[in-house]
Amino acid sequence: METFINPKSLFHLLLLPCLLLYSSIAYNSSPVEAAMHTNNWAVLVCTSRFWFNYRHMANTLSLYRTVKRLGIPDERIILMLADDMACNTRNKYPAQVFNNENHRLNLYGDNVEVDYRGYEVTVENFLRVLTGRHETAVPRSKRLLSDEGSHILLYMTGHGGDEFLKFQDSEELQSHDLADAVKQMKEKHRFKELLIMVDTCQAATLFNQLQSPGVLAIGSSMKGENSYSHHLDSDVGVSVVDRFTYYTLAFFERLNIYDNASLSSLFSSYNPSLLMSTAYYRKDLYKRRLEEVPVTNFFGSVMETIHTDAAYKALSRRNSGRFEDEMSLDQSVHHIKRRMLIKVNDGDEIHDINPELLQGEEGASKCPWSTFRNKFQKAENVDSLLNYGLVAMIPLLVISTWLVQ
Amino acid sequence: MAETKEKSLSDEKPKPRVRPIVRLGIFLISHSFHFSVVCCTAGVLALFLLPVLAKNTYISENALMPGSASPMLSNQHVSDGNRLVKDLTNPNSKSSETGIESHKIIAQYMLDLGAEVSFHKFHPQMNQFHPLHFFSSPDSGKIQENYSCSSYGINTVGIIRAPHGDGKEAIVLVTPYNALKSGFGEALSLGIAYSVFSLLTQVTWLAKDIIWLVADSQYGEYAAVAAWLREYQTPKFSSLSTPNAEMCPDVNNLFELKGHSISGSKFSNSFRRAGTMASALVLKVRDQNEQFEDTISIYAEASNGQMPNLDLINVVNYLAVHRQGLRVNVEKLWSLLNSSWLKSLGEIFESLAKVAKSLYPKWKFGIPATEYVEGTATLASSLYYQALGVPTGPHGAFRDYQVDAITLEISPKFSLDKVWRNDILLRGGRLIEGVIRSVNNLLEKFHQSFFLYLLTSPSKFVSVGVYMIAFALLIAPLPMVAASLYVDANSSSNCSKGDSSTPSAITDTDEHSIAIRSWRWLNSAKLVFIVHLWGAIVSLLPYFISQIPDCSPTTSFMIWVLLSILSLLTLNSVLASPLACAKATQEKEWALVKSVTISSVFIGLGLMSVINFATAEIGALLMVPMCLLAQPLKLDVRAGTLRSFCRMICNLVLGHIAFPPAAFFLLKGMLDGFGNANVGDFWMWVESLWAWNSATYLFIGMVQLPCWVLCISILFHTC
Repeated sequence: METFINPKSLFHLLLLPCLLLYSSIAYNSSPVEAAMHTNNWAVLVCTSRFWFNYRHMANTLSLYRTVKRLGIPDERIILMLADDMACNTRNKYPAQVFNNENHRLNLYGDNVEVDYRGYEVTVENFLRVLTGRHETAVPRSKRLLSDEGSHILLYMTGHGGDEFLKFQDSEELQSHDLADAVKQMKEKHRFKELLIMVDTCQAATLFNQLQSPGVLAIGSSMKGENSYSHHLDSDVGVSVVDRFTYYTLAFFERLNIYDNASLSSLFSSYNPSLLMSTAYYRKDLYKRRLEEVPVTNFFGSVMETIHTDAAYKALSRRNSGRFEDEMSLDQSVHHIKRRMLIKVNDGDEIHDINPELLQGEEGASKCPWSTFRNKFQKAENVDSLLNYGLVAMIPLLVISTWLVQ
Repeated sequence: MAETKEKSLSDEKPKPRVRPIVRLGIFLISHSFHFSVVCCTAGVLALFLLPVLAKNTYISENALMPGSASPMLSNQHVSDGNRLVKDLTNPNSKSSETGIESHKIIAQYMLDLGAEVSFHKFHPQMNQFHPLHFFSSPDSGKIQENYSCSSYGINTVGIIRAPHGDGKEAIVLVTPYNALKSGFGEALSLGIAYSVFSLLTQVTWLAKDIIWLVADSQYGEYAAVAAWLREYQTPKFSSLSTPNAEMCPDVNNLFELKGHSISGSKFSNSFRRAGTMASALVLKVRDQNEQFEDTISIYAEASNGQMPNLDLINVVNYLAVHRQGLRVNVEKLWSLLNSSWLKSLGEIFESLAKVAKSLYPKWKFGIPATEYVEGTATLASSLYYQALGVPTGPHGAFRDYQVDAITLEISPKFSLDKVWRNDILLRGGRLIEGVIRSVNNLLEKFHQSFFLYLLTSPSKFVSVGVYMIAFALLIAPLPMVAASLYVDANSSSNCSKGDSSTPSAITDTDEHSIAIRSWRWLNSAKLVFIVHLWGAIVSLLPYFISQIPDCSPTTSFMIWVLLSILSLLTLNSVLASPLACAKATQEKEWALVKSVTISSVFIGLGLMSVINFATAEIGALLMVPMCLLAQPLKLDVRAGTLRSFCRMICNLVLGHIAFPPAAFFLLKGMLDGFGNANVGDFWMWVESLWAWNSATYLFIGMVQLPCWVLCISILFHTC
């Protein structure tokens, strides 16, 4: 008799913590899951100083111009420039910066807001911006005030090496530091999705330590490769742009705010023979399919519009997802494929749900469980959740004690 | 049983455990002969291998970016330069006896461009031997009193301030110019400088101020530049000398005229300064030239073999070759180019490299024989000029203030027509512009590339890490041989005494005699010290001899030789006649003397290699074989074998060659031919050495000459 009872009671005892665990997971992940893409931020960093690194500043300013053109407002761009090339005494065109030898576009126009300049661009300040641990006196314009629904573009350029990036010719940002900062950001719900774009030598090594979900990273070169400059401006006397950035910009110049080009089309636009290095992207931490994500999700500020019946009422996540799908469906032939992919995705989701349901059948009857679960998903209230948990525990406790006796 | 006991006893005796390094030392000392033969040959071979081991130069400093900007010098600027050349070569401008007119013209031209202009007048300072100021830098404190209004020079200085710069740094462009007898070349060099200067007044990219110094070269190019630099770097706060000079009517006249004619301009009477000098270029154009190409010669050696940073030479070489299509030359010993033995040596190296390559394709170190010969000729001249320690041009004055500078001498191909002149103005100007723009990009001083190097061609160099190997191999045997000689001398005298005396006698006097014997080297040390003291006295003698008025070089030299011999004899007699070898009983006395001599030579060469490597290398080539081979001739004659005969011959030959004057005449004869050799030449040469504060002079006086005397004394030792 005892031999029969014991395993069963043990099974029930094991079920109890499982249930508790599930409830806690549901509680923890629910706000993130529920968070929508609310805003876009860009952190653009040029880490190297000195006149002969003109191109790094030009890279960063070009990206700045692009993201601004695609709709990220100035107050959501943190621009860090390690040196001032525009007013360098060696600059043949004082107060102007160009990224092309045709000099058609002055990047350093009237409306450039540099948030961190010169010797302010340090590893410490960079990490403070990312993690949001500022001194109280730091003005809001210098802070990254992102939230759990933010998409952040982090662009860095300068001189790098194996798992490091040089700042100001005196400090280094290591891949561990970056990964740690991103992890902290994740824990503090400072972003929903993060795209890290790095244009340095051996840029891919900088992503080695990243662990946080929702991070997508792309670098200009693999380990052991250099990133080269694109061309020399013989009038100014320096190289004005790096290859990776040049071809990135070339991609974006064709786009406007309404275009729906996907991230994968950006990533596949890099031609190793033109770059003279291999662009590398790391997407294992990123859940969404790159074909579905428009580049304007990071480089612009395009968000899904949600129709609500009444003001101030949040909709559930699932519905909003459907809206997005409908939006994208009526675009072009190219999107038919995507719809199919979405369907496959949906199938996966159903398949995922099944074991949970099975598990539920074992624990209690089907109907109360589904309502219970629905309530979980909607639940914003911690107290009610706890209460449900406790109530669920009592019968289990009673049954298990009875069985043991 | 007894045997085993004894065995065990002997086993128990602790064997003296010797550390491997000590054992290696003992091994080397005991085989010092073979060791020294191998090392010396390897050292000489390594020296001849240097052209093969030379590496290609590269721009080490990122900031320089030579040639990344396209030249902006246009035909407009060239025609400006041409105008100045015409005005200067115009016979009217040469009417004035002091050549003030042409200085006025230059100043006027500079003022028209909007530059700040000032005149700097100086009294030529004759280089004199100051025994107490040997290594000290020239300072403004020592001003000669005997001014005369007739002997002064005028430097014209123009300064462009960088439009956006902070005025903390400057680049200097120097054109030597003798207003009294200027050739067309000098005028042309001014034209090139002026065209660059006129461009630089218009550009916006200057980060450093530009100083154009027209150095009055009537008292020598170096003196003018050095005087200006002295004034620039060491400001005088007491105006003791200026009123003196301004007393002269001519100078006052010049200033007043200027002041009146151009009122409200940027002309100033006071000395004008810009920032710290980042680098300096001296520009010259040679008058006659037989070459078929436009070439440009780079002179870089400053005093005591100091070189400017290699990056500066690289920048000039890169721009001249790859941008302006000029051929770049560095000094060569032309006589070496036709030597057949060098050619055959080059062929041997070439074929060796081929064999090596066929064995293992990745070994690529061979260079063609002709290239090897050229490389060796360049290397030899590089070594020679560094060893001399005399600057090869006005750029040497800058090196005294740690400013990187080189002299560029453009030798255009013949012809004087206008098209050609414009072409050379354009290309020379663009080269200078490119170098200035490149240096202008610098953020710090030149520091990335090498300071210690030897050139084997304008684009190849041997760095300190490589050429030191040859020197180290040459002097490595010295301490070994010294130690082995010392050990031999002690042990052999021990043995001889042990044989002659009875064993009982030894026991009494043993410890005492050993104590005496172990200190016997002090005798030899005393001798060596005295000879070195004598060397110091000999090096000081010229100071007194030069005070004698109206003395021809030959007589001065004779007086010097006589006084030297006299002082040697006096010292000898005063300080207990060490050369007489009073203790003739000690037959190995000479070995101890040789041992101490070798040690002192080792120390001397080691010290000199730090101060001036080239001198030490050449000195080592002469002295190391002499020191190592030296042995009393008497012993060799007595031995009578073929080997001792050879050694005797070698000793006699080396004894002649290593005598400094003899070495000088030999070298001079090899370079210029023996026809016009004169005894006085050596005096002149020595005079130039001390005038330039060359450490080579000290080396010859205090290391080589004593060493030679000691070796000779060993050769004629009466054993």
